[in-house]
Amino acid sequence: MDILRFITAGSVDDGKSTLIGRMLYDTNNIKDDILESISATADDVNLAYLTDGLRSERQQGITIDVAYKYFTTAKRKYIITDAPGHFQYTKNLVTGASSADVIIILIDAVNGITSQTKRHLLVASFLKMKHIVVAINKMDLMAYDESVFTAIKTKFLALSNNLQLAGVTFIPMSALSGDNVTFHSTEMNWYQGGSLLKYLEDCESTILAHSNPMRLPIQYVDDCYYLGKLVAGQIKAGDRVVAHPQGYELTIEKIISGYETVEEVHAGQNIQITFTGNLKLERGNVLSPLQNKPSMSNELVIDMCWLDVQNPLLLNANYILRINTATTTCKVTEILHKIDNESFGKYQDNKQVNVNEFATVKVTTTNNMVFDSYKTLAATGRGILMDSITSNTVAAFTIQ
Amino acid sequence: MDHIDQLEAEAIYILRETAAQFKKPVLLFSGGKDSTVLIYLSIKAFYPAKSIFPVMHVDTGHNFIEALEFRDQLVERFGLKLIVRKVSDTIINKGLVEPQGKFPSRNALQSHTLLDAIQEFGFDACIGGGRRDEEKARAKERIFSIRENGGGWQPYSQRPELWDLYNGRINEGQNIRVFPISNWSELDVWNYIRREKIELPSLYFSHNRKCIRYNNRLIAVSNYMIAEDTDDIIDTHVRYRTVGDMTCTAAVASTAITIDEVINEIANSPISERGETRMDDNISDAGMEDRKLKGYF
Ligand SMILES: Nc1nc2c(ncn2[C@@H]2O[C@H](COP(=O)(O)OP(=O)(O)O)[C@@H](O)[C@H]2O)c(=O)[nH]1
Repeated sequence: MDILRFITAGSVDDGKSTLIGRMLYDTNNIKDDILESISATADDVNLAYLTDGLRSERQQGITIDVAYKYFTTAKRKYIITDAPGHFQYTKNLVTGASSADVIIILIDAVNGITSQTKRHLLVASFLKMKHIVVAINKMDLMAYDESVFTAIKTKFLALSNNLQLAGVTFIPMSALSGDNVTFHSTEMNWYQGGSLLKYLEDCESTILAHSNPMRLPIQYVDDCYYLGKLVAGQIKAGDRVVAHPQGYELTIEKIISGYETVEEVHAGQNIQITFTGNLKLERGNVLSPLQNKPSMSNELVIDMCWLDVQNPLLLNANYILRINTATTTCKVTEILHKIDNESFGKYQDNKQVNVNEFATVKVTTTNNMVFDSYKTLAATGRGILMDSITSNTVAAFTIQ
Repeated sequence: MDHIDQLEAEAIYILRETAAQFKKPVLLFSGGKDSTVLIYLSIKAFYPAKSIFPVMHVDTGHNFIEALEFRDQLVERFGLKLIVRKVSDTIINKGLVEPQGKFPSRNALQSHTLLDAIQEFGFDACIGGGRRDEEKARAKERIFSIRENGGGWQPYSQRPELWDLYNGRINEGQNIRVFPISNWSELDVWNYIRREKIELPSLYFSHNRKCIRYNNRLIAVSNYMIAEDTDDIIDTHVRYRTVGDMTCTAAVASTAITIDEVINEIANSPISERGETRMDDNISDAGMEDRKLKGYF
């Protein structure tokens, strides 16, 4: 059994909560007392009520912030991130989607693609999500008509042409009646693909590419050991490695994983290591092999989504930039371009970036930063900006 | 890595982040299974060095004696620094009103004691065993969750939390609650307990106990409740699914005496963990949300 994380994105009333409720219900993951609390009468279960956790959310019938739900099948533990759909909450969608393996974008078959769908696409593209499912819901209201499905699919593909998305899968669905949620619908025999659950069961979870060059960011230093999570590749006792940004060459002496001393570890594990020599490293340093080193610079070009509701991005103001465990102060010196939310085209606006907007900017950092391309080595190719006064997380970014 | 390995790796990563980002972190210990798992995780995270987190117990004075004995043994065994702060002292110092009713629960009053202790020691991070699947307000918590001056949670303006880049930067007066086992279910916790051979208070396994049958629940007979002649008392086999105050935690009828039997029982139980055992969430639809707004764990 492994873990698969997925996020659902949809506009208000597209049926997101119903879909999540349906999945939990059909896989027998709702306990009786919970079921009772969401049922007005024995045969009037409000599946949507399962997911809205805060009082105002229930009162207004909308999702405001991300909620997490869980279910298991014989094969997997699923972590569902239920995210709000409205523009205003794009920042919450980015939060939720950042840790997901799969994004499910819901479209109401009656309304078709909306501006909000475009925003969800933009988030999926920004995070370079590898698995995208477009669930075309409420097919029952359109007489389960194939041409409705095909029209939306065609329009969606044309739209996403500009975005270089990875594999997109389209599923016609009725969350309310359960068609193509956990079982193949008998109402839509024209659809050859599997149900959503089948897709999820077969989906490869984020494989930490073992073939990638090794990266070990130092997370914490105690009296004797360096602690960190190996984010890519593998490492063996006796390996010669380079510490960045210093550029020192070192030999790994001892590796501990859990309570055991081990010869070799793979990506994904938290380890404690020592190396020969008297050098001192600190949190934020990164170990790599002698070949295939990360890049290093104090000038970065980053793709960002601005997340701060209170203040827009200010050019030449002080921010704190973090990549993996390394932090430094920085200034954003130039807005290269912004992304239009509707056409996905690039446009110039060198004044400011507002909340929920996407832009590519140039940053100058106080310290040299060690980084990779997000596409190949995600963990060392992404980061956040924090406000130097409020300490809030104000931007998420990836490096090309 | 299977799902338990993945959950463990996530929790250890979070604990190390907490050690790296804060000056005065503390681990909140209740005597229950979730915070016991946290202690074992914190030992593993820093092995062979010792865990750097002191352990704090906010003592309601309504504890199960078994939980207190277990706490003291655990702390001794791992050489942990234990801090105890008592709700009864807060009640006297602040002139708080003792809760009323047949089963007077000091559960809500714990928040006062916790917030006072945070101030007294200057804790900047409190590590807790809260899990998102326990309850619908918990399902909305970040891993690093900010508490403002008064200890309150602001669910509508939570910080974005991207990837595993937990932002522990805070300003004067703020502190952070850290939830390393956010993504664990009750069954995940038990599977981990089995795998790591974690010891628990005997309360979690079937034993004989005098209980009152009350609103379809079994409440242990104790000195903290108001006894009445009409009490429907039975002596029966029970175990606890969660361990909290004697006055707000219900026992469940059970004959499970081994971990395997407990796991089997939970996997087949038609009722959720809190639904079966907690008396304080049922008060209102937003019982937990309200307590969290006031500084609760
Ligand atoms: N006919 C039909 N109605 C649906 C379907 N899915 C959801 N709904 C209804 O659409 C409304 C909004 O659903 P909800 O799940 O609350 O949407 P959310 O705002 O995206 O979470 C509710 O009245 C649902 O019963 C569907 O597949 N078919």
